[in-house]
This record gives sequence, structure tokens and C-alpha cells, in this order.
Amino acid sequence: MITFVVFSIRRAWQGFWRNAVMSLAATATMVLMLMLLAGFWIIQTGLLAGLEFTEQKVEVVAYLQPNVTESQVTALRGEVEAMPQVDAVVYVTRDDALVRFQESMQAQGREDLTQYLDSNPLYASLEVKLVDPAGIRVVGDALREDPAVRNVINIEDLVDRVLTVTNILRTAGTVLLIVVGVICLFIIVNTIRLAVFARAEEIEIMRLVGASDAFIRWPFVFEGAFVGFLGAVITLAVLAAAAEPLSGFMVEFFRVLPLQVGSLTRDLVALVMGAGVGLGVLGSWVSVRTYLIR
Amino acid sequence: MTIAPSPTPARSLRRRILRRGPDPSDRDRAVLVLHDVTKQYPNGKVALRDVDLVIPEGDFVFLVGPSGAGKSTLIKLLIRDEVATRGDVVLDGQDLARLPRRQVPKMRRKIGIIFQDFKLLPTKTVWENVAFALEVTGHPRGQIRAAVDRVLAIVGLTAQAQQTPSQLSGGEQQRTAIARALVHDPRLIIADEPTGNLDPLISWEILQLLLRINELGVTVLMATHNADVVTALRKRVVALEEGRIIRDEVGGAYHRED
Repeated sequence: MITFVVFSIRRAWQGFWRNAVMSLAATATMVLMLMLLAGFWIIQTGLLAGLEFTEQKVEVVAYLQPNVTESQVTALRGEVEAMPQVDAVVYVTRDDALVRFQESMQAQGREDLTQYLDSNPLYASLEVKLVDPAGIRVVGDALREDPAVRNVINIEDLVDRVLTVTNILRTAGTVLLIVVGVICLFIIVNTIRLAVFARAEEIEIMRLVGASDAFIRWPFVFEGAFVGFLGAVITLAVLAAAAEPLSGFMVEFFRVLPLQVGSLTRDLVALVMGAGVGLGVLGSWVSVRTYLIR
Repeated sequence: MTIAPSPTPARSLRRRILRRGPDPSDRDRAVLVLHDVTKQYPNGKVALRDVDLVIPEGDFVFLVGPSGAGKSTLIKLLIRDEVATRGDVVLDGQDLARLPRRQVPKMRRKIGIIFQDFKLLPTKTVWENVAFALEVTGHPRGQIRAAVDRVLAIVGLTAQAQQTPSQLSGGEQQRTAIARALVHDPRLIIADEPTGNLDPLISWEILQLLLRINELGVTVLMATHNADVVTALRKRVVALEEGRIIRDEVGGAYHRED
């Protein structure tokens, strides 16, 4: 068994270097395809994070009656928080609302108009963050029915439209990623098929001298895995080198998104390595099979 | 050009007497028995019809016939590249039609095959080309070294061991292929037009090598168009035409002599 594995790996190594042109062409194709795949995957991840970020912004604001009592607010708040669609509820008192207004005016460099008023004209409100923006209608309707609520801003239709757009983008991104993945699969498998085809005579000789299927197949499979591994390493090296200038350019964009660079890097390494080695092995297996089934 | 036929060992001579017809007692001694073999390809073409052939151990047989007579199909049946539509092909006591696919490689190790186009690997040296046959069948390296050196000595290529096929003459390339065929210690050597690409002088050289290997006890089946060689050597000649054996005689010539 060990002899067999050592034999296969040695033969794979020899096979790679003795057919250097074909092997390097396959590796180069592998690198290009993996870069394409990694690029689309990064874009897809960014897109998903962006959409999630947008959807998190959706919240229901319920303005309360001016004469509402503290106990009514507490009761309503408890009721709303108990709803499964609700993530968190923030109670904004009239004073809080005034402070916020003044701050926002100041931030925009405009005059504070509230100084000309005798009393606070603003209403207290409940700001309800949702688990999923799709729940906006249920939560909105529930709030409207409560007597303590003066009005709820109707953004349901707007949210529906936003959700339609984000869902389309999400589906489109996934479909595009799958299409790119399938393209990579076919191109890589075909390139390896060519590399194996160039050595059809070697396989024929092996069959004629009585090599068993395993002895014919495994060296090619190891070689495919090696091409995939090498391709993945080169791809990751290029991505790592490009990450610094790219992230400098994109930092503003990515900073606002709920992305973790650590897990992103880990997933990317797993994706590129897995796709590289996996496609290399698959390509070799499929290609050699053609010659073995006879 | 004349070359004296090499002296035939008494052992093969005795066997030769048994050559004709599939006598059941022959099966034990025979390397190869074909009984009522018919091969029809999926496209309907019948390449072999009711072929009976017994090749005893140590025999040297010429397989002759025009192109398309069925020589290649016969060889394909022997290495189980194809399976007979009807009849038995028994190699070294094993019925090839009933041989499970997994056993085919093991069976092929009992056969050494030589082709007109040599089928050497251009990126490997002579030594590596021969060693290849043992490496891919899982022999340990220590064993390989001794075996390869031995067969290279038999074919006379010890000095060229480290050269690649492109540095060799045609005859030397064919000798490399013969060494590769021989390195497994096969029961049967099948040579498919081994001299087809070589000039007459070199052809004789290759033939003498095959005769010498035959003297070492290896059965040889050689398909050829080379009439001079067949007629001069007066070995057993099996002639195929349109898929049938039309002649099977010891000491025969390339063409029928009536």
C-alpha cells in the first residue's frame, strides 16, 4: 500500500515535470479560473453583506399619543418586544426626540429653530428594529391598532420594493456565481483532459504491459491534485499581494458592511484550495476513466 | 541474403508434432488455444470466422495474410482488447471471455507485445522504458534493476541504456520494445509487424533476436507481411484470409506451395 502511494506520488511528480508545457498550461488555466471564481465570490460576499446592511436599516417608527402614560408605554413596549418578528425596541421620549433634532440641525450647520418655540412640538416614539424586514406589515398593523399609538409612518410599500430589489440581486448574484463555477469546472476539466490526452500513448502502454487500473489512475489523480494545489497557492499569493492596495481602495465601502475579514479570508482560502484540488482530482479522474473503460 | 535457421531445440520439435487440431490433451501444454472463435464487430463486420488454433509452448508461429484478413482482430482477442463473439480463447489455461475485468491486467503480464511503431515513451531513456513495464505493475525497485539489466543484456542494448529513443536507430528502438516485452518473463510474445518499419538488414537482426528469445523457451507469435523472412525460416505458418484460417503448416512458406 505504502509502496503504491509512494509510486503514485513519484510518478505524478515525474509526469508533471516531464510534460512541463502541458502541466504549466493546465496550472495557468487553473490559476485564471480560480481567480475568476474567487473574484466573483468576493463580489457576491460583498453584495450579500451590503444587502443585509440595507435591510437592517429598515425599522418601524410608531409615534405615540401626546397624552400617553408611562405605564401604557411600558405595556406596549413589552407587547411589541414579544412579537417574533421584532429584534429590539427603542423608546424615544419627547425630550430625546428634541435633543436628536437639535443635534441633527447642528450637524448640518443650520440654525436651531427650536429656540423660537415655547414647548416641545415633537412626539415620543417607539423605534422597532425587525429581525427580517419582511415582517414589517405585521408589526406595523399591530402598532396601528394600539390606542396609545398616534400614527405609524407607512413605509411598507417602499420596503416591499426594496426587498424585491434585494431579492433579485441576491438571486442574480447566486446564479452568476454558480454559472462562473460551472464554467470553471468545464474549462479546468477540459484542460486536464487535454493534458491527459497528450499522454494517451503512455496510458495505452501501461494497459498493454498489464498495469492495473489503480496503477494507471492514481498517478494522474495525484498529478491533478498537484496542479490544483499549485494553482490554488499561486492564486492565493496573487490575491494576498493584491489585497493591500485593493482594500485601501475599498476600505470605505467595506468598513460600513458587517464583514469579518478573518472569516472572509478563511472562507476564501478554503474555497480556492477546495476548488483547485477538487477540480484537479475530478478532471484527472474523469479523463483517465475514458481510457480505462474498455 | 541468406541466414541459416537457428537449430531447433528438441523440446520444441517434439511439441511441433502435436500442432494440428484442438486435441483436448493439447490444452494443458498449449500456451494458447482458440476453439471455434468468431468475432463480429458491432457494425456487423465479421472479422474472424470459426477459427481453431492451438499454439504449444515453445512454438514459433508466423501469422500471415493480406490486410483486413483478421490478424489484428486475432491479436486484439489475445490481449483481450476485444472479446470473441463466439468460441473460446484460452490463454495459459484461462478462458479470456470468462476472465473478470479486474483480472485482465494480470493476464496481460503473461504476454509481451511488440508493435510496428515500437510504442516507446520519448521522454524516458531506454532503461526507464523497460523498467516502466515493471514499475506500473507494482514491482519493488530492487527487483526492477536486476531484471532490466538482464533483458537489456539479452537484446544487446546495455551500452545504450541511458539514451532516449530519439537517439536510437529503428532497430535499436525495436530491440528496446522487445526488452520491455520480455521483462515480465512472459509465456507468449506477440509481435505485430515488428519489422514493418525497418529495412531488410535490420529486420533480420530483429528476427534473429526473436528466434533467440524463442530458444530461451518463450512462445512467439509473429504477424508479418515480410515474405522473405517467412519463406526463409520454414517455421510454422498460419495464413488468414477473410477471417478464416486457410493454411496451417509447419515449415511453410509465405505463399502456398503446391
